[in-house]
Amino acid sequence: MFTKVAMADENDNERMDGDNQKLEKMFTLKKWNAVAMWSWDVECDTCAICRVQVMDACLRCQAESKKDSYGKQDCVVVWGECNHSFHYCCMSLWVKQNNRCPLCQQEWSIQRMGK
Amino acid sequence: MSLKPRQVDFNATWGAIRDTIRGVITLDHVPRTTWNDRFSDVYSLCVAHPEPLADKLYAETKKYLIDHVAQLLRKVQEDGDQNLVKNYFHYWSQYSVGSEYLHSLYLYLNQQHIKVQKMSDAEIIYGIVDPSCTSQGDQMEIGELALQVWQSNMIYPLGQRLVTLLLEAIDLDRAGQPPTIPLDAVRGTILSFVEVQVYKKKSQLQLYVELFEGRFLNASGEHFKRDAALLLQERDVSLYMERVKAKIEEELYRARKFLHASSLQKVAHRCEQHMVAEHLQFLYSECQNMVKYEKKKDLSNMYDLLKSVPNALIVLVDTVFDHIKNQGLSAIHNLQGDSVHINFVENLLTVYEKYKELIKEVFKSDQNFMGALDKACNSVINHRPNEGRSPCRSPELLAKYCDTLLKKSSKGISESEVDEKLTKSIIIFKYIDDKDVFQKFYSRSLAKRLIHQQTQSMDAEEAMINRLKQACGYEFTSKLHRMFTDMSVSSDLNNKFQEFTKQEDIDLGINFGIYVLQAGAWPLGQAVVTPFALPQQLEKSVQMFETFYHNRFNGRKLTWLHHLCQAELKLGYLRKTYVVTVQTFQMAILLLFEKSDSLSCKEIRETLQLNSEQFKRHAISLVESKLLLSDTEELDENETNLRLNLDYSNKRTKFRITAAIQKETPHEVEQTINSVEEDRKMYLQAAIVRIMKSRKVLKHNLLIQEVYAQSKVSFVPSIQLIKKCIESLIDKQYIERTPYSSEEYSYVA
Ligand SMILES: [Zn+2]
Ligand SMILES: [Zn+2]
Ligand SMILES: [Zn+2]
Repeated sequence: MFTKVAMADENDNERMDGDNQKLEKMFTLKKWNAVAMWSWDVECDTCAICRVQVMDACLRCQAESKKDSYGKQDCVVVWGECNHSFHYCCMSLWVKQNNRCPLCQQEWSIQRMGK
Repeated sequence: MSLKPRQVDFNATWGAIRDTIRGVITLDHVPRTTWNDRFSDVYSLCVAHPEPLADKLYAETKKYLIDHVAQLLRKVQEDGDQNLVKNYFHYWSQYSVGSEYLHSLYLYLNQQHIKVQKMSDAEIIYGIVDPSCTSQGDQMEIGELALQVWQSNMIYPLGQRLVTLLLEAIDLDRAGQPPTIPLDAVRGTILSFVEVQVYKKKSQLQLYVELFEGRFLNASGEHFKRDAALLLQERDVSLYMERVKAKIEEELYRARKFLHASSLQKVAHRCEQHMVAEHLQFLYSECQNMVKYEKKKDLSNMYDLLKSVPNALIVLVDTVFDHIKNQGLSAIHNLQGDSVHINFVENLLTVYEKYKELIKEVFKSDQNFMGALDKACNSVINHRPNEGRSPCRSPELLAKYCDTLLKKSSKGISESEVDEKLTKSIIIFKYIDDKDVFQKFYSRSLAKRLIHQQTQSMDAEEAMINRLKQACGYEFTSKLHRMFTDMSVSSDLNNKFQEFTKQEDIDLGINFGIYVLQAGAWPLGQAVVTPFALPQQLEKSVQMFETFYHNRFNGRKLTWLHHLCQAELKLGYLRKTYVVTVQTFQMAILLLFEKSDSLSCKEIRETLQLNSEQFKRHAISLVESKLLLSDTEELDENETNLRLNLDYSNKRTKFRITAAIQKETPHEVEQTINSVEEDRKMYLQAAIVRIMKSRKVLKHNLLIQEVYAQSKVSFVPSIQLIKKCIESLIDKQYIERTPYSSEEYSYVA
């Protein structure tokens, strides 16, 4: 894991001190192991069509429980021009019947896809 | 000798043959040349000209045999009952061998004359033709004829008398008294009833069964009843069982000594019927005690005896079930202290293994008892204390047990020991009903191990997940796998980010690494992000990584989970230099002391914008670790002043302040349990959609059944919950009620 990856030479920390080089710092931050969580940048966590969280695969994809590549399901999010977002799977089925956003009734056109 | 058919003088030839067969049938000496001549005589009569004389030869031979056996019958009875069996056996031994020779002498007649008349064997065996017509109506081969004559002319008149004497002889043997009839005569006579029918294609045992075995079994049955009544007077179950077992053994030995092999089971069965089946209540009276005190010898006897009687084991099986259940419950009752999870799992395993071994040893791993063990373990492991009002803690405790083993610092345990313990933990796991609850707790502790780099060995982690997958299937572990995937994706991201900083010539000023976790895959809870003013030393890293990340991915946002971040700080103000691993908030608090040796809690909180819960938790941990000193006994988030402990010392130069991260809050446990309900709904909905998609139309009850069956691997759903999920899918228009019936659904594509 990343702990093995040397991020920067330890001595780099000392260089920060600049003019105060002679004065030894009381605290030196040697290393920071951060943790962040990624999620789709959406206004609403839940897909209004299948009412499943957009971070999870849509209900149909879950039902199929694809057994490829360690459970990573290619059930991405799609944003319309109206900035509403849904599972791509759900929206593709929706537009076959009605080419309007289910939330604001604007004509549906894709602004961007999650990646 | 000439093979050419010719005219033959029947009387002369038959006279010669008759003289010879007298010798053959009594096993007298017959010279080879005589034998050969008679052999040709049989041939020449069969092919005689102008008319074959085979039928005449057959009739004369039969008449001769009947006369001969009639003579023997007189001889057998010469001494009355006295030597009846002995004489019978003597003449039978002679006659049965003699008749085989005779059969050979008549080879030509048997093969060319009689076989042709007979139906094919196959026709008889498959019952197309009534076999009786071959043995009675038509001619038989000479060997068979001889035996048939014996049966009709010796056994029929003498049989009942013989059997009476044989039964007396067997009774004498039972009583352990010296035989009045030689044993080989008894056995030989009994077996003659079978041997005499050796030519029969079907039911060769018929005569034996009808003439002898029936009477024998009835007589034995009476004997067993008397024996049982006698033994029962002792009123000692243990002793009674010993005696009955010995009795059965003895009777089997006797049966082997005297009877045809087909009688063995019947004898044993009679014995069991009269000595076991008819006295079940007596045997059961000691059942409780034998099980309670685990008297192996008695239980093993009890098992051996009861297993032969249909349904008789149930009482013993139920008693064993109750006993194991009680032992199991008391093994986990009132566990206290820090190692409750270890005691819980290991005590249960001890009980499990003890009784598995006992069942193997005493009950020969009989399925009934293995079933009782399973049932008992199941009810112990899923037991809800307080008459079912408290939740079952097994899933949580087992997950914690695994965590303890998989975490770094499981001191003094070798890798193979850890492996063995984890393998055994699956035994308990398999009995858990709410496997999904276990999965929750397991994934939470796995998340902590991965994020805090507390994992002892990735191989061990993976092996454990494979065990779970094997027990529960792919779906069960897919979320756990996603966590591992994030780990390797993160490792890749770190490399790429490092390249990026090099290329852009960016100096972050610190050694930076990151885990990027996919929301939803990690059981971290949603509302955990609390306000925090990032220390200036970290700003650049955060900014640069965000830029880098958003260039690579579309539509994603990053949330920094500071409460999970860790930092390594070098302390340069003490007598020795220390490197301490702390959580980010702890680090931020410590960094403020760079400029001032003493700060008020209020100041710190305002600078870092920490909420009071987070602040208190981490400030207290720093005070407890003695890196900071507090001027009040109880830390007050406004009034207390904190000072840097300039006299701090530690044996280790590298250490970790873990308390704040690793303490499990009761809140977390509760949260974990609550989140299960939501997941179950999702799981059931997915199952319903899957089933309906493949079935298209399904009746309500069948749908419930299938959903139930599918989810059993993970948890036991309530019917109520399944119904709720069906309703909610109807609302969402995944399925609808068919127009024909409200009890039937169809899939909406
Ligand atoms: Zn959806
Ligand atoms: Zn999908
Ligand atoms: Zn919209």
